[in-house]
Amino acid sequence: MEEGRDLLERRISREDLLKLAAATGAAGLVAGRTGLAGAARAELAKESGRLQVLDWAGYGNDGGQTMFAAYVKKYPKNKPQFTYMTNEADALAKLHAGLKPDLFRPYVGWTKYFATSGLVQPWDPKLISNFKHLNPFMVKAGQLNGKQYGIPEDWGFDQILYRSDKVKPKAKSWGLLFDERYKGKIAWFDDLEMLTIAGLYLGFKNPWNQSDAELKKSQNLLKSKKHLVRLIWSSETNLWEAFGSGELWIAYAWPNDWVQMKKKKLKVVYMHPKEKPIAWVGMLMLLKGTQRYHLAHAYADAWSSAKSAKWLEDNYGYGHANTLARPSSSDLMRVLQITNPRAVTLPNAYFDRDIPRRSLYAKMWEEVKAA
Amino acid sequence: MAVEGEAGVPAVSASGRRRTRLDLTAPALLGFPVVWLVAFFLVPIAIVAAYSFDIYSLFPGKHGFTLAAWRAFLHSSVYLGLFWKSVKMSLIVSAVVVALAYPVAYYLALSGTKRKYVLLLVLIAPFLTSYLLRVLAWKVILGNEGVLNSFLVWVGVRSRDHPISQLLYSRFAVMLVLTYVWVPFVALPIFVSLESLDRRLLEAACDLGASRWQAFRRVTLPLSLPGVMAGFLFVFIPTVGEFVTPSLVGGTSGYMYGNQISDLFSTGFPDWETGSVLALFLLAVVAVLTAAFARFLQVRQVTAH
Amino acid sequence: MDVALSANGKRVLRIFFGLLVVFLYAPIAILLIFSFNNSELPTFPLSGFTLHWYHQFLTNADLKGALETSAVVAALSSVGAVLLGVLASVALARKRFAAKAAVSALLLSPLVIPYVVFGISLLLFFHAAGIPRSILTVAIGHIVISLPYTILVLVPRLDQIDVALEEAAADLGASPLQTFRLIVLPLILPAVVSAFLIAFTTSFDEYALASFVVGTRITFPVYLYSALRFPSQLPQVIAVAVVVMVLSLIVVVSAEIGRRVAERRLSL
Repeated sequence: MEEGRDLLERRISREDLLKLAAATGAAGLVAGRTGLAGAARAELAKESGRLQVLDWAGYGNDGGQTMFAAYVKKYPKNKPQFTYMTNEADALAKLHAGLKPDLFRPYVGWTKYFATSGLVQPWDPKLISNFKHLNPFMVKAGQLNGKQYGIPEDWGFDQILYRSDKVKPKAKSWGLLFDERYKGKIAWFDDLEMLTIAGLYLGFKNPWNQSDAELKKSQNLLKSKKHLVRLIWSSETNLWEAFGSGELWIAYAWPNDWVQMKKKKLKVVYMHPKEKPIAWVGMLMLLKGTQRYHLAHAYADAWSSAKSAKWLEDNYGYGHANTLARPSSSDLMRVLQITNPRAVTLPNAYFDRDIPRRSLYAKMWEEVKAA
Repeated sequence: MAVEGEAGVPAVSASGRRRTRLDLTAPALLGFPVVWLVAFFLVPIAIVAAYSFDIYSLFPGKHGFTLAAWRAFLHSSVYLGLFWKSVKMSLIVSAVVVALAYPVAYYLALSGTKRKYVLLLVLIAPFLTSYLLRVLAWKVILGNEGVLNSFLVWVGVRSRDHPISQLLYSRFAVMLVLTYVWVPFVALPIFVSLESLDRRLLEAACDLGASRWQAFRRVTLPLSLPGVMAGFLFVFIPTVGEFVTPSLVGGTSGYMYGNQISDLFSTGFPDWETGSVLALFLLAVVAVLTAAFARFLQVRQVTAH
Repeated sequence: MDVALSANGKRVLRIFFGLLVVFLYAPIAILLIFSFNNSELPTFPLSGFTLHWYHQFLTNADLKGALETSAVVAALSSVGAVLLGVLASVALARKRFAAKAAVSALLLSPLVIPYVVFGISLLLFFHAAGIPRSILTVAIGHIVISLPYTILVLVPRLDQIDVALEEAAADLGASPLQTFRLIVLPLILPAVVSAFLIAFTTSFDEYALASFVVGTRITFPVYLYSALRFPSQLPQVIAVAVVVMVLSLIVVVSAEIGRRVAERRLSL
């Protein structure tokens, strides 16, 4: 009962808020914003309890504190509480199994899936002061039917990492992941994206939506090359451990993995394949039925600030959607093409996208692992 | 509720008054445990069964009775192949474990050592410590930069650039760790069956002219077989569904059937129908094995007391 | 002549036993050594003594929270399992009833279910029943898997007790509950303590099942599993490992010794 009333009150006051925004709209942005801020502050006072965040390991109290430090400072009574997800599918399973976070962070390939799943609701960008600094290409990727379902945050590429002292690639190509010469030294990633990569390598027109015949060919390629693979990694730390200790020489990897391996003084190259890398961006998404609507927005705002963004770039080796942020490392600047807002799209890379037949892809990927 | 005839309780004690107070009947005693297991053990398994036939589902969409997932599974050489691979790994582990545990149990039970219970405790104590940590210990040992390789480099047997690299993330690593983890547990039932062996049988065999080896083969071994079978099954059943050890030390080649089940329910795009089918199939195999060998798995034989 | 073993055979087996003990304890010893080693990586040569990792884990709030959660879960589930186990064991050891074989098969069946199967079963069940995942859901599952162990410890002990004692008590007018409390319970107490400890350690150490049904408050093994994937956390995890392992060894060994002493005294 109590919860029901809270919900009702909030919905009413959110309408009030919109009216307020409309009324002040003509009077100018500044006035509008202060009015909004006032109303929002009143709303915030009503929201209670710790903010429930479903995120990836490494982004909570286990090392990612700086990303939301501003939030914690402002709302010490509503400190975030974390549940960790292994990947989006795991998050989906957790949500279906009754976990009720306020927000979570799937990647862009899943935006459409979640936006149409009925599990999430759009954000109100007006409540996120740093929103205007976010990369417009990434912001657009977070939209569906004109509504902002995802707030873009960290981004990067899927490319190939290899030891230049051990490996001589025949070409700058995804084919290095299937190179017979390096049996037992190769790592793939535990995700159906491997089928997309196989499709890219085989030159299919739309690797995200392959025909049955194409998909079969991609799967057969992976099945026939799996004996080369030492590890199909699902956590980066696992990859670092194995790559760092010389168990692996070649891996599907993210920019941060390259940064980490460089830190270990390994001779590594982060290769841009000719079939093009896949670019991705993490999207904060807001759950339907959240009891902490405004707190969630404040959290997203903290994540989106230039300060958090720079910290992320410097410490995690990814890019950040906030275009004001610049990493300290010139290597990272170059690899991520930080100054080029179009780095994530063609002609440089394919922006990751929805896979319409995701469950079929998933089934076929599981079969590759089982084979 | 009928009061059953109780063993050893004299009929005279059943005065009318006491009869009404006689709450500790079998149904009263068993009520809670049985209800608990039905609710939190049998019903959950029934739900998995319902899931595998798509009678029940957590995900929105059209659902109804279908054998599709079962049919796909039974026609898929992939999943059955993986199952067979896990069975083979698990059989090898079980056999090695029994081969290691038997001589030790034999020594403790029949060598006449006075401290056999102390030594037995020494043997099984590691089994009672953390499973994950024992796996971790091997991860620390087997890696390229791990204890073993760094030791070999240190003493000059291997050069730094050429460590023994196939130790970790391999089928070998999984089987080694599983063997390590289960040896203490299996020594127990074998010890019990050997200890309850009547030594006079061996003496009689020797009197009849049998050598020690013949006595062992004809008398000791057959009589300890129940313990061996129990030990074998107690390793085989959990290891065939194992997923924790392979996920930590197995890499691609050590991937097992249990990992597949776990992945289908977590990291893979949720395909809980297929996952349920895989889980039930494993359960069915285990149930058949258990039923077939039930006489070896009696309560008395797995307790050391 | 010894009919079971020749002198040589005994020597060989003794050596074999020694080697197996080394095999069993060496990894544990290695963990112990490296928990004091002043390096992030567990590699030879050793680089100096430090208590840094122990200190670090004492200040790690997440880790302590996880240990606490596990302690609560283990306490709840071991008490639950022992209560249910005593009820079931008394019935199995003392009563005759219809379908006894089937009932005991049911009571012991959690022994042979692969945890991955049971884990997903409970996951689906809790969802179907609308029960949110929490430390209670973990405890519920742990009671199921610990129950057969408690029965395996309690039934043999009950079998050893002379039924005449209980008959005498009944003849002297004690109610069944009184008989249980005054006669049976003190006699099986050592076994009850063992059962409790087995259930406690089983729960405290259990990962596979917990990983499926754990809520936002994670248990120690679940924490450990995720920490195992972080190389930088490895040394402090090793330190905790050593503490937990040594503690459980002490508890188990002393409990076992205590039980034997107590049982010997009680059976006099």
